[in-house]
Amino acid sequence: MKHTLRSFFSFFLFLCFTWVQAQETTPKGESVKQTTVVKRVAVTPKTDQKIPDAPLPLVAIDPTLKKSDSIPLKTDRYGVRVGVDLYKVTRGLYDRNYKGIEFVGDYRLTKKYFLAAELGNENKTTDDDRVNFTTKGSYLKVGFDYNAYENWLDMENIISIGMRYGFSTFNQQLNSYRIYNANPYFAETPIIPSGKKFDGLSASWLEVVAGIKAKVFDNVFVGFSLRLNRLVTNKEPDNFSNLYIPGFNRTYDGSFGVGFNYTVTYFVPIYKKKVKPLAVPKQNDKK
Amino acid sequence: MKKIILLVVALALSFSGCEKDDICDANTPTTPRLVIGFYDFLNPSVLKNVSNLKVIGEGMTTGILFNGAETTSGTTISIPLKTVGTTTTYSFTLNSGNTNPALVDQDIIRFDYSTQELFVSRACGYKTIFTFDPTNPYTHTDATAANQKWIKFISVEKNNIENENETHIKIFF
Repeated sequence: MKHTLRSFFSFFLFLCFTWVQAQETTPKGESVKQTTVVKRVAVTPKTDQKIPDAPLPLVAIDPTLKKSDSIPLKTDRYGVRVGVDLYKVTRGLYDRNYKGIEFVGDYRLTKKYFLAAELGNENKTTDDDRVNFTTKGSYLKVGFDYNAYENWLDMENIISIGMRYGFSTFNQQLNSYRIYNANPYFAETPIIPSGKKFDGLSASWLEVVAGIKAKVFDNVFVGFSLRLNRLVTNKEPDNFSNLYIPGFNRTYDGSFGVGFNYTVTYFVPIYKKKVKPLAVPKQNDKK
Repeated sequence: MKKIILLVVALALSFSGCEKDDICDANTPTTPRLVIGFYDFLNPSVLKNVSNLKVIGEGMTTGILFNGAETTSGTTISIPLKTVGTTTTYSFTLNSGNTNPALVDQDIIRFDYSTQELFVSRACGYKTIFTFDPTNPYTHTDATAANQKWIKFISVEKNNIENENETHIKIFF
């Protein structure tokens, strides 16, 4: 548990930095664009500072400046984003009881909506106080993300809320267990080895996902998401329980669970769409 | 925008706070004890108080504690059965600690049963339930052959020991 917590915090810390970076890059790209489109714009303020006595050339340029200001043809890029969950991959390095991988992907359907999916495989040995068991299985989650973040210019950051339907097939092996005896008069609480296998288990659930994705550099995004899960179906074994479900994570007494991922994704642009000019005044208002 | 980030981080931290609910609740029915009721041999429907009964498991040096004391003068007792193996032997000493050695009487009962392990929960793990051996659920002997047994009759009321809400064994004396 300590490991998990520690990684949790370190990831958030790391995430804070990446976010800052993301904020930095976008204005940079903006200024570059401006200079290429209208070079004079960038020059004029300089001359303004140096020689305030010669304002004549400025007047001549003014209309072009205005013109260029309204020009920025904002285009939205549409395409597929694919990547992996870094948390699962790195956890396998320091936690010998865990092996897992998750591929994530999304496809931009409209300006705001993304079709999203996660495909993963996990092999986790849980060592609890009373039971020790190994869960192996694969899962698939399919759903959508709604981007609630209004990007400036060519920024492509995402703050999204979405939903998924997850399905997992897996098996469990009970490695060892202990008998609970509230009256340990004979002081016998041995750890009983078992090795019993429970095959053909499955579960499905709904997830509410809150996520952030930030473009760190060209087409590469870093993001994380938090998930609240609720079991819909759960095929449980006889005389044991699905204490861990791949993709869903640890189960609790109720049917709720939580999830988390930290992803690095690559965006593959397929086509571009021009943004309707209606969006421009809106942005100005917001600003 | 910063507010959203803060909100998400706060949410994440609140999630990380809900861990370690792995304590088995005392009210959860787990491995049951054997419940024995003491009855009057001459009037079998009436519960009878034992006098300073001490119950010691085989191989143990101290007796089972009844409300903190090793002896009881009540009408029912609950004693644990061994979850490892299929037999548990107890010695029942009446008038334990009495200054008159003639009154101190020790009987030995061996219980034979089969066990079954049932999953309870993550926090509690498994519990054991017991089923008495159908042909020979108990063996009643005396510690010293010369002495007379104080237990006159033993009746198995319930063959399955699944909870502690019922009397499994009746002892008449």
